[in-house]
Amino acid sequence: MDMSQYRELFFSETREHLNNLNQLVVELEQQPGNRETIDTLFREAHSLKGMAATMGFNRTAQLSHHLEDLLDGFRKTGVVPAATVDYLLAGIDLLEGLLDDMTAKSAERSIDEFLQRSPSTEVVLVAEADVSSPPQVNGNDDQSLPLVAVEVEPSDLVEPLANIEEPDAFQVLVSLAEGTVMASARGILVLRELEKFGELMSSKPDLDALRNGAPCQQIQAWLRTSLTKDHIEEALRKITDVAQVRFIDDRRREEVSREDAAKTIRVRTELLDQVVNLVGELITQRYLLNSAAAGRNWDELRQALGQTSRLVDDLHHHALQARLLPLESITGRLPRIVRDLSRKSGKKVTLRLTGSDVGIDRVVLEALTDPLVHLVRNAVDHGIAEEGTVTVSARREKDLVLVEVADDGNGMDSERLRSQAVEKGLLTAQQAENLSDRDALMLVCQPGFSTAAEITETSGRGVGMDVVKSAVVNLGGRLDILSAPGEGSRFQLRLPLSIAIIKILLVRCAGHPLAIPITRIDRTLGLPTAEIERSGSERVFRLGEEVLSLVSLPQLLGLPEPAVGEITFVILTELQGRKIGLEVDCFIGQREAFVKNLGFPLNHLPGLCGATVEGDGRVVFIVDPQPLLENRPLLSSN
Amino acid sequence: MPLRVMVVDDALFMRNILKEIFVRAGYEVVAEAENGERARELYRETKPDLVTMDIVMPKKSGIEALQEIMADDPNACVVMVSALGQDSLVLEAVESGARDFIVKPFKEEKVLEIVKRIMQ
Repeated sequence: MDMSQYRELFFSETREHLNNLNQLVVELEQQPGNRETIDTLFREAHSLKGMAATMGFNRTAQLSHHLEDLLDGFRKTGVVPAATVDYLLAGIDLLEGLLDDMTAKSAERSIDEFLQRSPSTEVVLVAEADVSSPPQVNGNDDQSLPLVAVEVEPSDLVEPLANIEEPDAFQVLVSLAEGTVMASARGILVLRELEKFGELMSSKPDLDALRNGAPCQQIQAWLRTSLTKDHIEEALRKITDVAQVRFIDDRRREEVSREDAAKTIRVRTELLDQVVNLVGELITQRYLLNSAAAGRNWDELRQALGQTSRLVDDLHHHALQARLLPLESITGRLPRIVRDLSRKSGKKVTLRLTGSDVGIDRVVLEALTDPLVHLVRNAVDHGIAEEGTVTVSARREKDLVLVEVADDGNGMDSERLRSQAVEKGLLTAQQAENLSDRDALMLVCQPGFSTAAEITETSGRGVGMDVVKSAVVNLGGRLDILSAPGEGSRFQLRLPLSIAIIKILLVRCAGHPLAIPITRIDRTLGLPTAEIERSGSERVFRLGEEVLSLVSLPQLLGLPEPAVGEITFVILTELQGRKIGLEVDCFIGQREAFVKNLGFPLNHLPGLCGATVEGDGRVVFIVDPQPLLENRPLLSSN
Repeated sequence: MPLRVMVVDDALFMRNILKEIFVRAGYEVVAEAENGERARELYRETKPDLVTMDIVMPKKSGIEALQEIMADDPNACVVMVSALGQDSLVLEAVESGARDFIVKPFKEEKVLEIVKRIMQ
């Protein structure tokens, strides 16, 4: 059986199991006697073992088996000795390393050293003595001791692909010449030749597939032989139509990049069915539209169009669902990270996760993984003094997802940040004084800005914050920092739900249609032109109590200024926590747009974040005002 | 001793081309057959080192003949000669023990290349 088709599924499930293991061990540390947790841990390790053995990943199977045995021992005693928690975690780390190896198609790393460090039986026996209920009196023979037996039972080995530990096992890639006729028959002859060399363990395509006429441009075969590669190559090359023979020492080192591994995603079949149903309905709808158009029946046409647009909305919604993953898929690691950090720093930190089930676009989540870890590390390292709570929460806010990392620690002192910025020469004293508190907090996102007196091994506030901010902005999101001395800190990441289909406001700018993502717009205004005032070199307008700067979008884009009318159309947007007005010619309307990425060199222009195609086929650029405003020549306060 | 070859094809034209190729290469064509049944008889009589076998022939197909020859002599060296588009028949022949196959139209070098490889 060809197992390679199950690789991706194996990897994604293994990742889930490892996430669970990490979480469970951390839970167990807090409640060492929780039988349910121990049982679940045992089952996780057991499943992992079976899966890995089936795929032929022997070391992973061996290590899982070892952990399973260890846990089985604890299941019997009902308690996990504190001393073994670190060992279990190190085992999970090693499994993660092995998973990396497997995804990268390199040989599994060695686990010998780890197995040797296995906690001595005495530790376990002491633990047994610790429990109040007497340990099982009988049947404590050698085999039930949790530390032996590392081989995998044959029953768990469902057709392992091969044992790659053998030095003489390798992979042969035989490519057939272009235009080879009757390639499957040729493939069979190649396999037959390979069989002569030694043991042909498996191949892709295999004999059955070739018998059924499977296309065969290349044969990938796993061979165990005592013959030299030169000999094999020479013999294979003599076969008609064999164009190339290559050898790969390890069966898993194919030319598939690791990135691909993470690009699969599991979709509920129910959802897939709904999508297919909707597409089916759309097809029916197309006929209705056709017949209405043919009969010039306007009422029918209007009705059919209405239904079509409802169907498209529905389809959009469902398709988007397929790309949404729960935030959980990236917060799973956090308990472990917090646990390790608090141990290292000697602080007592509790991690609270809320809203982990909020769905976020896979692409957004991927880009969010590292920033989130940075923020949590920062919170533990610098936010919390000795004891406290770090909360990671998520919730929907209209078309956005708000992800917040908050700590109840020291908080940040905007006054201190100002003076540090001046000391470091980032700002003049005057500039620092003019900075709002909110802007002052954002100083930590400046590259190289750090307020921590000493920079710890893992993070220094400021180290990485610039990375966090640019990741959020690149996703079309926004980062806000709320903090005050003694009140803790909150880092708020507002992110779009999806980055493929977004809501835009279509505007006219110096005569050209332009799209602006709705997530960048607070509101729109029609302002009597007469109410616009001048303040120094800037134009300003009043909105309630506030006086806001007004910037011309055509000017930002280097386009000619349109003629001034009686009403000035303004988009209110936010820049570093401050509202700014953006002037455009007029508003055209709101719609949903499928974002097309721009190619070089357009993708290098600041503020241009994509394009979308209008109903009439016209290409409209999507403009993100944020980088344009940040880079505009005079942003000095006032 | 030169290589002893038997050529099986219902078309005289094809047999002649193949015979010429083999003779020029210094082989000895010891027999030729125009159908599968005759091929089997002649194989028994002459025990050639190599057989080229057409697939679609009257009386007995090349595949049947191949299977019978293989049953008589499991070490028989039979190379199928097939037209384009007979993939499934070629597959069946290969499964039945044909050492290789030649696809019509063929070139002299290709035929000799295959024969030489098999006879090594």
